[in-house]
This record gives sequence, C-alpha cells and structure tokens, in this order.
Amino acid sequence: MNALREAVLPPAPVRREEALRYAMQPRAYDGGPIPALEDCVRMAEGKVPCRAVWRLFPVIRKGDGLDLGFAVTGSRKLQTHLAGCDRIVLFALTAGMEMERLILRAKALSPLHGLMMNAVGAAIAEEACDRLCGRLAAAFPEDTLRDRFSPGYGDLPLSLQKDIFTALSCEKRLGLTLTGSLLMQPGKSVTAIVGLSPRKEDHREPLP
Amino acid sequence: MSRFREFLQNNLVILDGGMGTLLQTRGLKPGEAPERWGLGHRDVIRAIHKAYFDAGSHVVMANTFGANPVRYDGTTLETMVLTAVSDAQAARDESDAPQEKFVALDLGPTGQLLKPFGPLDFEDAVSAFAQVVRLGVRAGVDCAVIETMNDSQETRAALLAVKENSDLPVLVCNAYGSDAKLMSGASPEVMTAILEGLGADAIGVNCSYGPETMAPVVERYLACASVPVICKPNAGLPSVADGKTVYDVDAVSFAASMRTLCEKGVRVLGGCCGTTPEYIRALVRAAADLAPQSLQPKRRTVIASRSRALVLGDRPVMIGERINPTGKKRFQKALAEGDMGYILAEGIAQEERGAEALDVNVGAPGIDEAAMLPRVTDELQAVTDLPLQLDSTSPAALEAALRLYNGKAMINSVNGSEASMDAVFPLMKKYGGVAVGLTLDERGIPSTAEERLAIAERIIGRAAEYGIGPESLVFDPLTMTVSADGRAARVTLDALHLIRERTGCRTVLGVSNVSFGLPAREVIGSAFLTMALERGLSAAIMNPKSDAMRGAFLSFLALNGMDEHCARYIAHAASLPAMQPAAAAGAPASPAQTASGKGLRYAVLKGLCAEASRTASSELDAGRDPLALVQEEIIPALNEVGEGFEVKTLFLPQLMMSAEAAEAAFREIKARAAADPAMQRCPIVLATVKGDVHDIGKNIVRLILENYGYRVTDLGRDVPPEAVLDAVVRLHAPICGLSALMTTTVPAMEETIALIHREAPWCRVMVGGAVLTEAYAAQIGADAYARDAMAAVRCAEALEAGT
Repeated sequence: MNALREAVLPPAPVRREEALRYAMQPRAYDGGPIPALEDCVRMAEGKVPCRAVWRLFPVIRKGDGLDLGFAVTGSRKLQTHLAGCDRIVLFALTAGMEMERLILRAKALSPLHGLMMNAVGAAIAEEACDRLCGRLAAAFPEDTLRDRFSPGYGDLPLSLQKDIFTALSCEKRLGLTLTGSLLMQPGKSVTAIVGLSPRKEDHREPLP
Repeated sequence: MSRFREFLQNNLVILDGGMGTLLQTRGLKPGEAPERWGLGHRDVIRAIHKAYFDAGSHVVMANTFGANPVRYDGTTLETMVLTAVSDAQAARDESDAPQEKFVALDLGPTGQLLKPFGPLDFEDAVSAFAQVVRLGVRAGVDCAVIETMNDSQETRAALLAVKENSDLPVLVCNAYGSDAKLMSGASPEVMTAILEGLGADAIGVNCSYGPETMAPVVERYLACASVPVICKPNAGLPSVADGKTVYDVDAVSFAASMRTLCEKGVRVLGGCCGTTPEYIRALVRAAADLAPQSLQPKRRTVIASRSRALVLGDRPVMIGERINPTGKKRFQKALAEGDMGYILAEGIAQEERGAEALDVNVGAPGIDEAAMLPRVTDELQAVTDLPLQLDSTSPAALEAALRLYNGKAMINSVNGSEASMDAVFPLMKKYGGVAVGLTLDERGIPSTAEERLAIAERIIGRAAEYGIGPESLVFDPLTMTVSADGRAARVTLDALHLIRERTGCRTVLGVSNVSFGLPAREVIGSAFLTMALERGLSAAIMNPKSDAMRGAFLSFLALNGMDEHCARYIAHAASLPAMQPAAAAGAPASPAQTASGKGLRYAVLKGLCAEASRTASSELDAGRDPLALVQEEIIPALNEVGEGFEVKTLFLPQLMMSAEAAEAAFREIKARAAADPAMQRCPIVLATVKGDVHDIGKNIVRLILENYGYRVTDLGRDVPPEAVLDAVVRLHAPICGLSALMTTTVPAMEETIALIHREAPWCRVMVGGAVLTEAYAAQIGADAYARDAMAAVRCAEALEAGT
C-alpha cells in the first residue's frame, strides 16, 4: 500500500501577495509595483519546478501517542489534528538548489532583492505544496484531507525530521540534507503530514 | 597499466547489484548505516559479495558507501574501510566463478551539502574523500567507484581525491532526477565535460530509476562521452508489501533492458537498489553473446558551468569581456575593497544581455590574483549559469580557480613560449579545460598569418605530448590596433582563416582592441566583428552591453540561419533605446512614476530610487547646499520611515525601499561634493558568524546602518572569529555587529565576542538573528541585542554615545 511516490510540480505563476507576506509586508501595499519584487518574479517565474516524494501510512493510536507508521510521536496537537483520520500522507517537497541559486543571485543585486527573492522562494514552495495537496485530494476521492502539519508546528518536534528523511529517502530522492540544527537544505523545502479521514468533512480543525 | 584499467579497455564489465536493500532483508533497520552494521555482521556481508561474484560480477564494491570522516571518527573509519575491503577480498577468494574478479572502494556522498548552499568547504570535502582513498589503497583495492552523487561539485571533490592520492582506475556514477539533471543542475553533457576533463576512466549513471527510465540519460552519455559509459540502475521504484520492500522491475525484464543499452554502447553494467544476485545472473546471461562496442573519441570542443555545457562549434558564441579591471577605476576599487556585489552584478548584467560565457580577469596592481581569482570564480559560479573563462597570466591563480571551478573552464591563456606551455598544460591535464592559444611566443607576435599558424601548430604538438588533444585548444590570432598599423586587421583575419582551415581548431578573438585610439569605436569594432565571424570565428570576447557590438553579433547569427525565428535578434531589438520611448509613453503610469516634482523627501519616503537620484541631482544643479539636502530632506524622510517601521505602520520592504532611495540620493551627492558632506559616523564591522551562511538579515542591517551615516565594513558570511577581529583592529571600529540564524552557530558567535572583548576591548558587540533573544545575547556576552534593522540603528547610536 505505501509505495514511495514522486511528483514533479511544474513552475506556476508567483503569488505576489503571498511573497510580500513572507517579506514581512503583512498587508496590501498601495504604492504600486515594488520594482525589486517585480525583478525577482521576472527572474524566478517559470524557472523553478518543485519536486516531491510522498508515501501513505496507516495511523494508529497507541496509548498516549500516535503510531504514524514511520515513527511514534506523543504530540498532543497532532493527535487533535488527526482525530478521525486512519491514514496519513507524509510528504517532502523542495524548490531545490535552483531556488537557492536565484536567492544568491538576487542578494548580489541588493539587500532588498535578497529579501524579496527569499520570499518568492517561500511562496513558490508553498504554492507547490497546495498543488500537491490538490493532487492528493484527487487521488483519494473518498477521503477528506486535513490541512498539512509540519514538524515544528505546535508540539510536534523538529527531531521528527530525521525519521521523515529516512521514510521518504529525502537525501537520495530529493537531494535534501539536514543540518545539525535540523534545518533542511536546500532551504525552500517543506515536510508535512496530511491526515486522511474516511468521511466527508465540511469543518476542519484549525491549525495551532 | 593496472590490470583493471586494461580489462576495462577491452571488455564488457559487470558490476554488482544492490547492497543496502539486501541488508534490510537480513536485519538492517531503515535509517541504520550499512557500513556500521557490516562491522558486526561480517559473515553476511561476505556472503552477499560472494553471491555477486558467483553470479558473474567482475567488480564487487566493498561496503564503504557511507564510510567517510564527515560521519565517523578516524579510528572507526579506519576499521570500517579496512574490514569492508578485506571482506570483499575474502569473498573474491572464496568464489570459484571463472571470470576476472576485482574489488572496488565504494565512495558515496558525505551527506552534507557543499558551500555555498551547505556547510562543507570544498577542500574539506576533498580531504575527507582523500582519507578514505588512502585507506582503500592500503587495503589493496583494484579500483574506486564514486557513485550516487547528485552534486557535481561533490563528485569533483571525490574524483580529485582519488586522482591525488592514488593511481587507481576510477568509475564515476551520478544519480539523476526525472528531469535528466542532477539535483545541482548538471546534465549528462555537463558531467561528461567535467569528468573526462578530470580523468575519470568510465562515467555514467546509477540508482535513480529502473533501466528503461534511465535509458534517455544513458544515451546522452553515449552521444558525448569518449570513455566507457556505465549504467547501474535500480530495479524500478520501491513499494512495501506485507512489510517487505519490493521493486517493480523483475530480473528478467531488468536484464532485457540492460541488454538493449549494452547494444547501444554501454560497456559497464550493474544494478543498484532492489537488484540482487539473481538480477546480475540474468544480466550476465542476457549479455553473454555481446562484445563491447568500440570507443569513439568524440573530439568535442566544449566548456561547461555546473548546469550548462557550451559547445564551441559552428555557431559562434559570445563571451562577455566586462569582468576585467583594466582601465576601469570603479572595478579596481571594488577589487581592492573585496566588494563582490559590484563584480557579481557585472556578471549578471552581461548574462542578461546575451553573453554565453564570461571572461574573468582580476589582474590589477596590488591585487593578489592567486587569492582573488578563485574567490571571484567561486562567487560568480553561484550566481550565474554561464561557463567561465579564467583569464590570468599567473599559473598559481589559474590553478586555484580551476580547482574550485564546478565545471570545465576555458583557460585564457597559453602561448607558444616554452614557459607558458610548461605552466598551463599540466593544469589542463589535471583539471580539464579548453585553453585559448595565443599565437605569440618568446619572440613576440609574428607579423604574418603563416607565422601565427606555425605557432598554433607548435602549441598543438606540445599539447599532444601531455595527452591533450587539439579539440581542447582554441586559437586566438590576436587582434591588433588598426589605427597603429593599417594591415593589422587583415593579418589577424587571414591568420584566423588559415588556422581554422589547416588545424581544424576553433578560434577566438578579443575584438574590442581593433578600434583602440579611433573615434566611434563601436562602429569600426562591430564591422570587424562581422568580418571575423564571416571568416570562421568561433567565439568573440566582446562587450555584450554594447548595443552595436551585440547587434552585429546577433545579426550575423540571424543572417546565417543560426537564430531560429530570429528570436535572439528580436529580443535584442526590443531592448534597444530607440524602441523604448514609444513603449514607455504607451504604458499606463503607476503611482510610483507620477511622483515627480514632489521633492527628495517624498521620493525617499516612498522609496522611489530613480526619482530620488534625479531630484537630488537637479537640486544640486540648482545650487542647493548638499548638507542642507541631507539634513532637511533625506534624514527627516528616513526618520519618518524608521519611526513608522517601529510602530508598525510601515513594513520591512518599505523601510528598505526608502533606504535604497536614500542611498541613490547619497550617491549623487557624493559624486559632486569633494568632501563627503553626509554625516559621518563611526566605522562598524558587520559579519555573519563562522559556519552560518544566512545573511539576508545582515544585509538589511548593513543597508540601514549605511543610511544613517555609519561607515560599514561588511565581511560577508561564514566569517571566522580571527577575520572579524582583524577588521575591528584595522579600522579601530568601536562597534561590531554579528548575526547568526542557527542554534549551531551561536557558539561561533560567542567565541567571536570573547575574542573581540579580549583583543579589542574598545569595541562593543551587538548581535542579532532568528535564534537570539535579549537574554540569550546577554548570556553569550554580547553588549547589545538588536531585534531588527531599526533596532540595530538605535543600538549603534546608544553604543556610540556610550563610547
């Protein structure tokens, strides 16, 4: 049941507002186009496909914790979030080294370009995650997909990254590495758990 | 010649199959390291090796894939490698199979990314692999296999380590994604250029996917490689059924696909994840009646960056000449100050104007080229996809840069003098590369085309003695100034044609020199370029930012059917100034563009760079006092923005846009005033600490501090404590700012603070970065903590007032 699957998310238009949020501009900017953002969008748009691997696991409540099929966790927030789910999709997604290069390139132009390209990279990875989840929803039409939940959210420890890397062969399949601080490199990468609930649900648990 | 090297030349070579996946069926846990597990299960390891020899493998790889000093200490590593090799050798001795049998040292990735994207320094990677190689040699392996590498630079590090520490034959396999590229962006053509240049004995692919999926990548290797090609794929993709990992390609179809690849020319065959001795036995049977295809030298003249291979063939290429300090004051200043931003921006600008490779020359008075050329090369290759042409007369500088260059460089240059050939050819032999051969020698530049041809032929002959083929030489018949000698251009063009016809080698010219001393240089220069192209020029070293030169080059391509749908020509035309006003007039003006006339203060407030610069300039022209302009317009605007940021009515991008607009205005003011009238505050040294490469925040702090008049010396990122101290002492800086993003680099920050406090007690240290808090900062001994860029300004003001 739980084959390792790969997905390539081809480049998509950059969501400028989302990028601006990542650049710490929390609400609409009314001064017209920001030249540095436009430069970065021009440099990155259409250039950065994202790659992902994912795998389906059964999830079993085990005493105080959750057996996720690839690791056991005592995270309360995740338990609440996955209430009613009998399986999860575990995925890792990255905008890869190409995005890192674009960020370096932008930093060579100006600090503002560096900030903007970093934000564009985050927006690209997030958008690709949304598309991947859309594909997952189509692949599991009988189920309801919960919002994605990543190590570091709430009380789900970052140390789970090590188990995720093993379960998904992230090093080999995506070229990801983990630093001593458990940060992923290349930096514009996401790992997440998506709960599958075998019922139609309208209401979703909000993220912590 | 080693027995294996000879065997490789004359035979199909069968490698072994999967190891890790087999070990998992014998008790290896997911995530557990096979090389460590193997130490406690030597009988299992030996049995697997023997099963592969029994199945018909010529080469079995010792269980050393993950054994490297990045993961293990010296003693463990030594035991690991020696044990693993001896187990493989024992299996060889135990097997009765009749074929020739060899044991390989297996070198896999270190598990850390190399700089600039990860923490591992290139030379540290080379020495890590070197340790393993020396242990392998001691243990008596027959060859080395570098495999599953998905980064071209790490592959280079491993290959250099093998070459520098042994004379082992070496096979190099890379792991490709479904886009037929390595994670680091390299294509099969790029890897072929790099690996053949470094002297790999066989190259190809492993792991990744099943043989059918890998076939297109393998065929691209076969099309451009002159050495034997390797294919060592997985048994398809894995899935788990009943708690066991299974792969979707069985032994029989695996062997059938491999046979097809063998018929197409693959000479080294094996299996990776999911393959077992059964797969190898089927493969041996399927290939039993096949003989190795003969090796065809491809004789391609090709250079490459980490992501792009550039063939110097019938279509001429444009090489940007602008990274060169000769006659450029601003460039010399950037070099002297180590201002990489300026140099990188020059590279990016040329790429955007259509350059296909970049000449890199950093030779200027007072510059240590042997240190500067590799530094600029390293920085440039991180931000541009273009192959580089390393341009220096210093062999030490060339070697240092070639070593670091994640590609196959063009080397500018060698000439017909013995000294030059003796210096450059050994470097080419070791690192690969295509050299520009200047047709001059100890006696100078010959005045006839025939004599220049004779020098080219002599260079080809000497190169051959080093084993370097003529395809690795591109000749420059030397552009001379036509204003000094009316025949000069004619001789150059005749020599170009002669060399092209007689030697078959490709040609290159630095075209700009022809017009030296004449008015309207681009007029005659572009005509000369067209003439040279018509005579067979393969590469023009020119200024891509010159509309006239670029126009001549692209027109030539379009007129010769070398520019499909005239696409490049049309893109060029669209960028010409003549095309701009009409377009601009038609475009709706954004609010940002309608701000003119509202003054400098408004331009800075709104972050309008061009407007700020224009307004400052016209105010100064109108006789406005520069100091008043700063104090009455720029500073109040900056203060307003800064306060807005602090109370969160304005946000970071706006703060930075204003800072950049202020910077643009300051530049205008500085350009006119003899003395800098801007308020001059104290020097500040800024750095991201050792081990940390996250510098976006630090760059923002620099910009804002500079705006407030601080003279900032930015040492960049990953800066050792000693280098920070050196700068603090040299500038007698009263303030130093340090940033760190990762918890793991905070100790480096603490160490830097302690060093400064001890050796430069006059200096106060402020710190910032995602992992820090006020309390944490105090705990590691910092004098102040700054939450963000504005806080850094307030902090600096307080520290300055206190000292």
